[in-house]
Amino acid sequence: MGPPPIVTGLSPNEGPPGTRIKIRGENLGKSPQDLVGLTICGVDSLLTAEWKSENKIIAISGPIKGKGDVIVTTRSGGVGTCNVTFKGYQIATIGPMKESAVWVEETEFFSWGRHSLSPSSYQQEDPLGLSVEDTEKKIPEDDLLQFYPNKNGDITSNDFSAGWFLLENHQATSFNDLQAGLVHLRRKVQGQKEGQLSFLKSNIGAVMDQIDTLVNLKDRYEADLPKVGHEPTLKLEKAIKESEHEARKLFDDVLNRKDRAEKTRNALNVLTRFRFLFCLPCAIDRNVKKGDYDIVINDYIRVKNLFHKTDIPIFKIALNEIEKRITDLQSKLHQDLQTMPITVEQQKRLIRYLVNLDAPFDAAWNAIKARSNYINKKFSLMYNYHKSLDKPESKSRNSSTSKYSKYNKTPNTEVTIIPACINFTHEICLSVTETFPDLWIIGQSYFSGELQVKVEAGRQVEYKHMVMTVIETFCKYVRASLIPNTLDKSEKSQFGSLTLPERDEIALYLPELLESVRSTYSTFIQLDLPGDALQIVSSLLLDLRVHCMSILFQQTTEQIKYLNENWKINYNGKYTGVTELPLKFLNAIENLIQVVKESVLLVEQREVSLFENPVAQKEMEKQLNNVLTAFHNVLNNLSSSEEYDESENCVPVVSQLVGTPVSSHKTGSRSDIPIWEHRLLITLSNCLFTKNTVLDTISTKFKENGFPPLTMCFTSTKSKLEQLEKSILDKYLEQKSDPLVGTIEPSMYLGRFDWHLIVPPTDIRPYVKECINNLINVHSEIIHISPTLLNAVLPQVVETVAEELYRLMSCVQRFSREGALQAKTDIMALREFLKDYSTDSAQQYFVEALEVVPPLDRTDEIIIEDILRQCRAKMKIQIKCLRH
Amino acid sequence: MSKKPTVQPALHKVIMVGSGGVGKSALTLQFMYDEFVEDYEPTKADSYRKKILLDGEEVQIDILDTAGQEDYAAIRDNYFRSGEGFLCIFSITEDESFQATQEFREQILRVKNDDNIPFLLVGNKCDLEEKRKVTFQEAQDRANKWGVPYVETSAKTREHVDKVFFDLMREIRARKKDENKTNNGRGKDKNKKKKLKCTIL
Repeated sequence: MGPPPIVTGLSPNEGPPGTRIKIRGENLGKSPQDLVGLTICGVDSLLTAEWKSENKIIAISGPIKGKGDVIVTTRSGGVGTCNVTFKGYQIATIGPMKESAVWVEETEFFSWGRHSLSPSSYQQEDPLGLSVEDTEKKIPEDDLLQFYPNKNGDITSNDFSAGWFLLENHQATSFNDLQAGLVHLRRKVQGQKEGQLSFLKSNIGAVMDQIDTLVNLKDRYEADLPKVGHEPTLKLEKAIKESEHEARKLFDDVLNRKDRAEKTRNALNVLTRFRFLFCLPCAIDRNVKKGDYDIVINDYIRVKNLFHKTDIPIFKIALNEIEKRITDLQSKLHQDLQTMPITVEQQKRLIRYLVNLDAPFDAAWNAIKARSNYINKKFSLMYNYHKSLDKPESKSRNSSTSKYSKYNKTPNTEVTIIPACINFTHEICLSVTETFPDLWIIGQSYFSGELQVKVEAGRQVEYKHMVMTVIETFCKYVRASLIPNTLDKSEKSQFGSLTLPERDEIALYLPELLESVRSTYSTFIQLDLPGDALQIVSSLLLDLRVHCMSILFQQTTEQIKYLNENWKINYNGKYTGVTELPLKFLNAIENLIQVVKESVLLVEQREVSLFENPVAQKEMEKQLNNVLTAFHNVLNNLSSSEEYDESENCVPVVSQLVGTPVSSHKTGSRSDIPIWEHRLLITLSNCLFTKNTVLDTISTKFKENGFPPLTMCFTSTKSKLEQLEKSILDKYLEQKSDPLVGTIEPSMYLGRFDWHLIVPPTDIRPYVKECINNLINVHSEIIHISPTLLNAVLPQVVETVAEELYRLMSCVQRFSREGALQAKTDIMALREFLKDYSTDSAQQYFVEALEVVPPLDRTDEIIIEDILRQCRAKMKIQIKCLRH
Repeated sequence: MSKKPTVQPALHKVIMVGSGGVGKSALTLQFMYDEFVEDYEPTKADSYRKKILLDGEEVQIDILDTAGQEDYAAIRDNYFRSGEGFLCIFSITEDESFQATQEFREQILRVKNDDNIPFLLVGNKCDLEEKRKVTFQEAQDRANKWGVPYVETSAKTREHVDKVFFDLMREIRARKKDENKTNNGRGKDKNKKKKLKCTIL
């Protein structure tokens, strides 16, 4: 046990209740836990005590009055002592009739008033008249108790013991003094005893007066007795009662007022205490207006927790009011929830509100349904809108497209009116991309329990059906507007159909639309939709791609069909001897490949390569065949029609005039269209070029761009082209050789010449020269168009010439010597000059022709050599022309 | 109930007077608990009492630390009445507080009605020499005029803190002895005297 605590300082040393006192001293506890007791003037103040150090505690004074000690008790030191005192006082009192700003418990004041005359102020006087001794050297109380058991020194007590009293108070007083004190006490007692008499003595006059007055009073009373009766107090009593009544009336008023005030105060109190409840309806209105639903919900939950079991009518009324508002709010939120458009976040928030509000709706499910309905409605709205635009538009569009088709141009300009189906598809794609994810997300949240809603059985299936319906509807709409042929009849009628634009026009938009659908698809993929849902879109996409591809091919086929020849031969650059036609063809194909590659072939997320699909591949082959055939047809057309154009009067026929077998002049026609033979040659050249170069290039291009091997198509086309080539060549030869050969005979017998006539030969005959000149003409014509054709065409011509010569020779009935000489000379000259272009059969014809001519002798041979030499010299230029 | 059976040592009642903020509480706390309080918190009225050894004799010192602020000036009379000795404190860094000592002195003399009441003039904050406003001589002159000792103290460094309290208590003790002598000499007047003393006590 350590030293007991001792309080040695108080700051301040007085104050009203609630004063913060710094208590200083020694051993006031070693820790806050050590401090176990603190009383200030007898009032326990431990609760307010704040232990600072062993020397300092801070505490708040309690309801104390008067002076008293501050006693600290510690666990280590026990109950302590105090050197100093604290004085408590009240600052002011508030009475019943005194105004106060605060509500004061009144009962206490009355008790104070009653007990203000407590005997605490009673001071014990010194009965012996001796001064109280100094405090030193007192006999401890315990000792006294030992001496005088059950006694004490209190004069007023029954157990008063004089000995105790003397020992306690006058222990050190001398006997003399005590004696004097006894005298003093006696005198005092005497004084009290004698007092009455002496008092009367000294106040005799006054006493007499009083007795007189009493006698007077008695007389008067007796005199009044007959007047007032035996009980004069009755009247008095009545008066008192009356006055009491009056007083009460006055006081009642005050009391009533007080009651009323109290009631009001109580009501106010209740209002204040439950202000939350009573203000809630307004607060709800306000917050609903502001959109602070969270606050409303919080308040509502709070009020429900607090008051839902209440029986107090006023609370019930308030609660009803609140319930009404909450119900309104619920239906409003529910309305909002189903009002589209709305974001998922908003919906989720609304659902949360509704769940928190215990709304009687299946909010989450309704939201999902609303979304699904919204999407479907939007689809049909869009469809109807575009349908309404479709009709009037189609007419104007038709006129415009017909214009285009007439000029065989791709309508890439001037198209201001986009066909309804295109717009619709585009829009529906956008719409589904925009709206569907929300449906999916909210569905996912619903089933994952994120919305804190109980998922009812069967909803999963229903939801799946919903999603599938949306996707299917979407796909069917797209199909209906773009590829209605993939729908069956009932679906067609269900989803209606918009007017399909012309192929050229739709080809323009298809890749773009494909892109739209694709982006929708990728949105779906990102949403992680189930496979069967994706499958629907994916198959649509595949169909669309195939359709797109076939449309593009068809477009190209169409383009190629209308390719026209400008007959301008390309003399320089990579491909010489051909016109632009094959290049245009190549170009068209290249463009096609490019477009197809960019749109259709492109394999995006979760798409199969197009040509893995057998249908697609078959379609592709078919379309390619069409394209190639189209070009073939173009070439064929060019080569088959002699009359190029009705408007041109050019008749490029071989003149029958001797010496001018081929007339290349045209009368009154445009000079840019070459003559028929030229055209044939050009076409032939193009044909060859196409076969040998363009097709290979195209084939490589296709391969390079990831198309499947298409050798079949190309080989068949090549063979077709070969046939075409042959027919063209035949035509040309027919055109060329026939007149040329035809001129030989007349020219041979020109000027009444005959082989039996004896005309010594001096030169080769003019018909030979003419024949050579004609050949040179053909040669130049071919060279002019394409040197590569030379070997294909000229030998054929030479062969016919040789054959004709042989025929003519064998027809000669009789040769004179000179005639034979002349014939041999002619044949040899021709053979020599045409050597470079003579085929084996031509050579054979020449030999056979020579054999027909009668044999000649040595001199004749010399003559022939001579003539030939002269001829070679003369016709040097002609010979050069026919040289390679 | 001040009368306890235990024997109580002699009690000397000291009152601290002076303007606000001169360091009355600081001196008191330094003397009582050897602590120096830095923060200033105006005092209203604080009581301290402890046993100390004065020249080998155990005595009790009761210190009443009064308010320096004028707000409480009206109740000073009451305090002064119970005092046996006074420490009149001013701050040497504040001339105003020095001037105020005059007023305090007059008030005490008026209340006590005794020119020889134990009284010390104390110039506090002597550690703040560089801020000194009141010269030592000036204060000494005033003390001489009043016939009281002048001591300079520092509650912060504890310089002369014990000295002022002990000096004052010695004076009080000496004065009480004088009074006892005169009382004993008078004999018959003892009762009256004692009663009078009661009120003082």
